[in-house]
Amino acid sequence: MDIFAQLIVNGFIAGSLYALIAVSFSLLYGATRFFHMAHGSFAVIAAYVVVYLHRTLELPFVFSVISGVVLSGLVGYVLFRTIYRPLRERGGSPMILLVASLGVMIVIHSLLAITFSSNFTGLTKVLERTRFELLGASVSSHQIGIFFVSIVVSLLVFVLLEKTMFGKKIQAVSDDEEVARVMGINANAVLSSVFFLSAALAGLGGILTGVDTGVQPSMDLFFLLKAVIAAIIGGVGNVYGAFFAAFLVGIVENLGIWFIPSEWKDSIAFGLLILFLLVRPNGLLGKR
Amino acid sequence: MEYFYHLLVITSLFSIIGMSLNLVVGYTGLLSVVHAAFYGIGAYAAAILLASTNLPFLLVVLISVGVTSVVAFGMGVVLSRFRGDYYALASLGFGIIVYTILLNWQSLTGGAFGIFGIVKPEILGFTFTTGAPYAFLAFIAALLVYALSRFLVDSSFGRVLKAIRENESALAVFGYKTERYKLTVFVLAAALAALAGVLYGSYISFIHPSSFQDMVSIYMIVIVILGGLASLPGSVLGAAIFILLPEFLRFLGLPDDIAAHMRQALYGVALIVLMFVRPQGILGSYKL
Repeated sequence: MDIFAQLIVNGFIAGSLYALIAVSFSLLYGATRFFHMAHGSFAVIAAYVVVYLHRTLELPFVFSVISGVVLSGLVGYVLFRTIYRPLRERGGSPMILLVASLGVMIVIHSLLAITFSSNFTGLTKVLERTRFELLGASVSSHQIGIFFVSIVVSLLVFVLLEKTMFGKKIQAVSDDEEVARVMGINANAVLSSVFFLSAALAGLGGILTGVDTGVQPSMDLFFLLKAVIAAIIGGVGNVYGAFFAAFLVGIVENLGIWFIPSEWKDSIAFGLLILFLLVRPNGLLGKR
Repeated sequence: MEYFYHLLVITSLFSIIGMSLNLVVGYTGLLSVVHAAFYGIGAYAAAILLASTNLPFLLVVLISVGVTSVVAFGMGVVLSRFRGDYYALASLGFGIIVYTILLNWQSLTGGAFGIFGIVKPEILGFTFTTGAPYAFLAFIAALLVYALSRFLVDSSFGRVLKAIRENESALAVFGYKTERYKLTVFVLAAALAALAGVLYGSYISFIHPSSFQDMVSIYMIVIVILGGLASLPGSVLGAAIFILLPEFLRFLGLPDDIAAHMRQALYGVALIVLMFVRPQGILGSYKL
């Protein structure tokens, strides 16, 4: 087994795990212009739905995953309707929305911890993985599945944004909400669906990560940070940039382990962000 | 009576935290989510010095505050280039790095075991034991921090800070080096948080990285916003509510673990409600 190949492959898998969450975070930021701190919570909620439906109630896996994705989407929709939209309509600044979303993150975190305990849990009972060799690196069949699901779903989202009327409306609202309204686009309806879509995508990202490593209520911050780092490096609001940056973060993090112990992974990712903020504040594919 | 002294100590320490963080968040308008890190570095520096040297307590305080200020300076140089949501995110990331270091630098910090048996402060031959003496010490420290902060915010320096909050670009046009002001207030606030950290460590006599993680930084923001942005008495009020509220929850007789999460959820709800009804906090004057 070649260490370099293993780290690169691990980097790509980590990148595919971050990609959906980063793309959804960027999509949400592009449309609403505020940093949604509770974004990682969507990922954790969806993973716990799978824990409950699949592991506890022993319902079929695919059904549990779909339920998890839809349910986290609904949570996003409800949050927008009950908290973020009213705050926006009162003329709340992005900072007010950011602080409110911090509150949302804390509440979801504690509710999950009360319901499911603070401990790590796997999404499935079977933890055994069939492993095989790929380009001199060892990967599990789950990881290959995760990688392809993430890539395919990301591509579908890009097609949705580029080729459909719905995607055009999202772009219009992202470019200028006022103008979009004047043109007869129901901005609130668009934002509601963006919230649903983005929360559902983050949920899928959370489930994929959960399948690979398990889940814990405190992972919300882990998800949020990886998403934010990739989104900023990719240029906030730019979904394609976020997608590529997610892989960049995954690969750099894993190659970093070559030089320093793996506990420092998160610090490496953050170091990369600081570097980008200093030398390229508008991100890789700069657009602000 | 012992119980009352205990609450007085903790409330005094968190008042110091609240007032110092308010200098950055309330007066300068920068949402810093890294304050717990400085509280932690102060506590750790003092614990290590007290365990391995025979230096007098006041000198230990001085060195710990100094070390923290140096670290804060390094972070501040980077942070001062940002404002708004970027400032919040970048500072959150720094908080996570410090937590990772406290947790993983085994040989210096004891890692996940923490540090035990931190001695009580001895000043001019008098040992401040738990109870009335320590309450007196903490109260005096809070009073000093209040006086210093009051002096600062009423000075011309304080007026520049408020001007940065209102319109940084305009101020820069008038030739003010706004980055320097942001850096100075950040380091100062960190130094004061370190003082609270030193007193906390030697009071509880045991410190652990989890007392200084990013969630704690978010609690500190709850204190500042709840009590009132840009109001020093507000921060004292915020600290008092923050400490006393869970004491009331205790009478509900919930299991410890659940009570802790309930408390956490309550802080989250408080943040959300505040953003709706009073974004400047109870006694505050400035809205985010």
